[in-house]
Amino acid sequence: MKKIDQTVLETTRYIGLCTLVLSALMQAVFLVLGRWNITVLLGNALGGGVAVLNFFLMGLTVQKAVVLEEKEAKSAMKVSQLYRNLMLIVTAVVGIAVSIFNSIAVIVPLFFPRIAISLSGILKGKEENN
Amino acid sequence: MLELAIGIILGGCALGAGCAMIAGIGPGIGEGNAVAKACEAIGRQPESKGAVTSTMLMGCAIAETTGLYALVIAILLIFVAPNMLVNILLKAIA
Repeated sequence: MKKIDQTVLETTRYIGLCTLVLSALMQAVFLVLGRWNITVLLGNALGGGVAVLNFFLMGLTVQKAVVLEEKEAKSAMKVSQLYRNLMLIVTAVVGIAVSIFNSIAVIVPLFFPRIAISLSGILKGKEENN
Repeated sequence: MLELAIGIILGGCALGAGCAMIAGIGPGIGEGNAVAKACEAIGRQPESKGAVTSTMLMGCAIAETTGLYALVIAILLIFVAPNMLVNILLKAIA
């Protein structure tokens, strides 16, 4: 098995940590609104897990693609994106169709990596200003 | 007549969901181009591989969100909108 790049591992770790923090925040919001039950927790676990897995798989593809030729790298990314998109579709459909998952709690964590990246940009900007 | 109206609602929702998923193609093309350019950059400066990979990962994740928005819209159109619209129609008739 090929060794996983340190950059990919570090970034995935950061995304995972942010997803965990944001998930806790989401649980707190559900709790405050009085809508918390076990389906929210299960949905959050499914959505958050898939979001981090999606990011990690993208990292692995990028790691593999940067050593390929330009055309091969392009097609490798397209194929990977197709499969990861399918994974997200299946997750979202399962989250909505199966009643043990709260549908909102499945969908919202899929956006957490995006929020984490925006946060990292803001934090880096502040550090550079200081 | 009611069946026709419901059929139009369901058909419109399905068509809308299909159209929304066209946006899923964009991130694939964009990510492919970004990685191709990164390959070029790493080829020119192999010592910058770590920095390029890290920046590209972030960029790819942001690009992918567009597809995710489309996915959410499509899912709402398939699972939520038909029930809501049919209920509105039935209320209007009643």
